[in-house]
Amino acid sequence: MTQRADARLPNPLDLLWRQFRSEWRLYVRDRSAVFWTFLFPLLMLFGFGVIFRSGGPPALKLVRVAPAQASPRDAAFVKALQEAHLNVVTLPEKEAEQRWAKGETMAQLESAGGGYRLRLNSYLIAQGQVAAQAASQAFLIAQARLSGAPEPERIPVVVESPGHARSSSYAAFLVPGLIGLNLLSMGLFAVGMVTVSYREKGKFRRLAVTPLPKWVFLLGQILQRVTVVILQTTLLLLAAWLGFGIVNQGSYALLAALVVFGTATFLAMGFALSSFASTVETYGAISNLAFFPMMLLSGVYFRLDSAPQWIQTSVLVLPLSPYLRMLRSVFNDGSGLAGHAAGLAILGVWAALSFVLAVRRFRWV
Amino acid sequence: MVPQIVVRALRKQFPKVVAVAGVDLEVRSGEVFGLLGPNGAGKTTTLEMIEGLTTPDGGEITISGLNWRQHSQQIRARIGVQLQATSLYNKITPREALDLFGGYYPKRRPTEELLELVQLEDKADSYHVTLSGGQAQRLALALALVNDPEVVFLDEPTAGLDPQGRRSLWEVVRQMKAEGRTTMLTTHYMDEAEALCDRLAILDHGKILRSGTPAELIASLGIPSVVELTFEGAAPDPSAFAARLDAPVERRGDIWEIPTPDPKSLLPRVFTTIESERLEYNQVHVRRATLEDVFLHLTGRSLRE
Repeated sequence: MTQRADARLPNPLDLLWRQFRSEWRLYVRDRSAVFWTFLFPLLMLFGFGVIFRSGGPPALKLVRVAPAQASPRDAAFVKALQEAHLNVVTLPEKEAEQRWAKGETMAQLESAGGGYRLRLNSYLIAQGQVAAQAASQAFLIAQARLSGAPEPERIPVVVESPGHARSSSYAAFLVPGLIGLNLLSMGLFAVGMVTVSYREKGKFRRLAVTPLPKWVFLLGQILQRVTVVILQTTLLLLAAWLGFGIVNQGSYALLAALVVFGTATFLAMGFALSSFASTVETYGAISNLAFFPMMLLSGVYFRLDSAPQWIQTSVLVLPLSPYLRMLRSVFNDGSGLAGHAAGLAILGVWAALSFVLAVRRFRWV
Repeated sequence: MVPQIVVRALRKQFPKVVAVAGVDLEVRSGEVFGLLGPNGAGKTTTLEMIEGLTTPDGGEITISGLNWRQHSQQIRARIGVQLQATSLYNKITPREALDLFGGYYPKRRPTEELLELVQLEDKADSYHVTLSGGQAQRLALALALVNDPEVVFLDEPTAGLDPQGRRSLWEVVRQMKAEGRTTMLTTHYMDEAEALCDRLAILDHGKILRSGTPAELIASLGIPSVVELTFEGAAPDPSAFAARLDAPVERRGDIWEIPTPDPKSLLPRVFTTIESERLEYNQVHVRRATLEDVFLHLTGRSLRE
């Protein structure tokens, strides 16, 4: 060992670069993290995007029990049903009953006495009611035709996105939802969970006895997460464009600004939440309590228009819901953030609250 | 010569317990200094305050003439620390860990040299999760040496290791001493303390009971030897035997211990007493007193209790 004069500590910027690279290397080695951050959102997009393909609602299937004897009224009715975009499947009575018993039938049209009867599956009542209405209308039309009355007028129906732009498919609705969900899980899991586990397992203590400045360590970690978000979002936007022809309808600068704002908010939220748990188990419970209601109720996958009013109102004060509304306003509708003052305020309060809590309560040990 | 580490009136109070209740010690440059004591004696808390991990409630700490309030980064650059449980990233290799941590310091030892020192060349590129307990412990030691430190702190360096693992760790500590580093370690193994340490402090309930070289501490007992009687099963009550022998006899588990300054004259008396008491015993041993006896004498308790 040699006695030394006071050697200079390494340059913090060099250290930051090293930490950043090391974080990335370790991140890539964690296969499950890579799957959940990069592959899972793409799978969701392609899966749901294909299932709910664009071009209006899919044709509803109506099972029709084959009548004992064909009649002109019957034929006219079936024609009218098909004109109403119902997918009419005619089955012998026995088969129809089997299908019903298995629960696969949403609505079933049967002959009863001299007329007809509709049976609706109580489990699929929402779709069943739509089919029932279409069927009743078709029945009126068929009766009018048979009686020689003039053809009834129809109201034309067009399918369009609220922002009347090109992106009208479900996949287009989903893209901003997935971007927001990515940010939420980055904050709660990649930041919050990692912080708790480092603290619990003593990794922070090991670093604390080295001259590595703490801010360099934290900033290296944050920069790595931010690059993950950038990559993740870019990948999702590319996939939406290549797979579904969906492009951002609004300003890219505004979209980028929203992603930055969201990233900062959910990062701070992760750090803030991590200060409330001392073990990974406790944190798992806390983070799931935050994650699942937001994932299910904030409009990632669907709007909650038919949910009870109190749920809709309470979800609005959680950060993800107003955030997604803003994202969709830019991405789907091509409009700006005018009219989103309340949403911006809610998100701002969450960001400020999380930031203050994170800074005040952050613990290394 | 100025001591490398000076600690004065060090105190730490936790919410329910006084962990360190006024510790004074000096560690000389180049020596291996041990803190010996049972679990909960305050060894780790004392060490962590000196390492700068825990803020003391009172007292002074000086390392190489520097103190934590003014020179924290300089001190961190000069010390090497092995914590009781070093947790690393699961998927980092020893080579990468040494490179990463080495980069934090102004001065560093070559990674290859460290891998060789702790015999991890074969495992240099395996993930940390795949290392055995002993290998992980040796990597932790290599990490503590990555900055070519003047002072090395080892907290229970051989806890949980098999005998072979302990031996090879001892070798590294001796190597560190040969290189002129100052080492401070905690242990609750008396044989380890005796084998490695130049000087020791015996700690209990947050206070230093006695300090000195192992030989001094044992000599301070004034009873260099112990006669042991072993029994088949539990040892009987020794009070009648002790009265007739006219010497103190301590029962510990299935043995009796008779400390003595003069085993030569005690032994014939022991055998006579055995005859007259018709004592059913198994074997007789005479051994040198150890640090364990010092500890027992000072606290009335065994180290492992």
